[in-house]
Amino acid sequence: MSAYLDIVDVVKSYGAARPAVDGVSLAIGKGEFVTFLGPSGSGKTTTLMMIAGFEAPTSGDIRLDGRSLVSIEPHRRNVGMVFQNYALFPHMTAAQNVAFPLRMRGVQRAEQQRRVAEALASVDLQALAHRHPREMSGGQQQRVALARALVFAPDVLLLDEPLGALDKNLREQMQVEIKRLHRRLGITTIFVTHDQSEAMTMSDRVAVFNQGRIEQFAAPLEVYRRPATPFVGAFVGDSNFFDVVLSDPVQGLASSDVLGDIVVPRSERPPGSRVRLMIRPEAFGLAGDGVHNGCAAVVEGTVNYGDSVLVLTRVAGKEVRMRLSLRDAAAVVEGDRLNAAWRPEDGCLMD
Amino acid sequence: MTRFSDWFAWLVLLFLAAPLAIVVPMSFSNAPSFQFPPPAWGVQYYRAFFADPRWLQPTVNSFIIGAATAVVTMALGIPAAFAIVRHRFAGRGWVNLLLLLPLTAPHIVLALGYYTYFGRLRLTQTYLGVVLAHTCLCVPIVYLTLSAALKGFDRNVERAAMNLGANPWRVFRHVTFPMLRPAFLVAALFAFIQSFDETVVALFISGRDASTLPRKIFDSLRTQADPVVAVVSTLLLGIVLAGTIASRLAARRRRVETPA
Repeated sequence: MSAYLDIVDVVKSYGAARPAVDGVSLAIGKGEFVTFLGPSGSGKTTTLMMIAGFEAPTSGDIRLDGRSLVSIEPHRRNVGMVFQNYALFPHMTAAQNVAFPLRMRGVQRAEQQRRVAEALASVDLQALAHRHPREMSGGQQQRVALARALVFAPDVLLLDEPLGALDKNLREQMQVEIKRLHRRLGITTIFVTHDQSEAMTMSDRVAVFNQGRIEQFAAPLEVYRRPATPFVGAFVGDSNFFDVVLSDPVQGLASSDVLGDIVVPRSERPPGSRVRLMIRPEAFGLAGDGVHNGCAAVVEGTVNYGDSVLVLTRVAGKEVRMRLSLRDAAAVVEGDRLNAAWRPEDGCLMD
Repeated sequence: MTRFSDWFAWLVLLFLAAPLAIVVPMSFSNAPSFQFPPPAWGVQYYRAFFADPRWLQPTVNSFIIGAATAVVTMALGIPAAFAIVRHRFAGRGWVNLLLLLPLTAPHIVLALGYYTYFGRLRLTQTYLGVVLAHTCLCVPIVYLTLSAALKGFDRNVERAAMNLGANPWRVFRHVTFPMLRPAFLVAALFAFIQSFDETVVALFISGRDASTLPRKIFDSLRTQADPVVAVVSTLLLGIVLAGTIASRLAARRRRVETPA
């Protein structure tokens, strides 16, 4: 996929010791839905602000369809944005809010009305066209903001934690709605969030931000299954980390203080390398046949989630989290010993 | 608790309104001087007020000077508030202090200064002189009102407007100004009232030609205790009352219109 939105080695420094954005490069394809995921202060929102033009990069370039955006003023960029608190104009009705970008572009009045009606219909708000923002719920304001950001057919849609203020049900409903709009319009979309489940369910690709850098940029499942760094493994989903020494990397043999001699994914690292092995809690199961790695664990507690049970255990003094199916967990009793096992390919090696 | 605070509120209201209960009846009196309760009723002093240019001229002057002061003060106060709240520059703290300085000096001290300095500039006894002096007194009020409103202003709304295609001027015209309009109106009204109400500086520099209403009232009380003063007070009260009721009605009409 050739890059439509190309972010090239962008740095944003406010004069402090460490830059807020420290050399970010991303090549985003046309029509792609990309999520910027990371904790607060990781540089994801600053990067978004630079794409919108509210902040200028200290160095680096941002290119849209081949031409540089950096010297273009925000109001000439044709980039739609939904702000965290929606930033609707309180003195205008929903229809006037949505008409605003068309008015600024000198669109004919009749054409304006047609497109506003169409945009409001696409977010199911025709009935509330003449309400002011203060007379609408958070979810409705959110949808006005979305209609307003899309009505002028922008080249890119930016969403800055747009679902943060909504309650859980509404959030899921809006996730579906945003995905549906994206599929229908095919617009290149960047979605900023610190919620990993949002990132997992919505995106084509996820860029995981940490301390102003991108730790991994890949499809959601790839990020989950093969995290590039311990940070990604810990931030996206639940995880267990073990220090291991690779005795025979080519055969995938390793040893660990906690787990003993185990089989791990093969790698090209030199023998004797010290690496970290990540195992997801759900990779564990009860020991059955002998091809799996195994360990003996003492059960310290259980948390029942309804669809699965989180079993908190201790293996050779180290806390290990395992997520078992309801059937497997039925036999588990607090204080008992438990023989757990995992497949070698479910382990993930990191430096 | 509620009962006590209710009582207290009524007591405060009574205290504030008590002088009106004397001034208003006195304006409808027939007595040759201040006398309460009035011995007989009539509107002769209203007739006297509207027939006498020595009362009408200062009234007109006060409105002209008040309006001009509001305009000049806003012209200075708006850019000052935007600059101080939204930008960081060398000497910002000092400028902030300078803008508030007129609040700290007693009016009589300032009046003396204007009297000597404006005298040399030949600005005493002119509209311009009074307007400039009043502007100095009003700048801190306008600046404080506007900067408080600006600090609470969500700049993301301006960013949204920019993002949607508005250049800086249109952002101000279509978003910033309409959203801050109430604060602008309040600030301008404060400036007008401050000027309209100001006595000390006006006494020193307004002279005969640019004499304001407070000055005329003061002169009139000092020399003859003319009951026309009660008429002026009652008329002003009437204007304020009418204005308040009109704004209430307008606000209610707007509320009724919006959900339609």
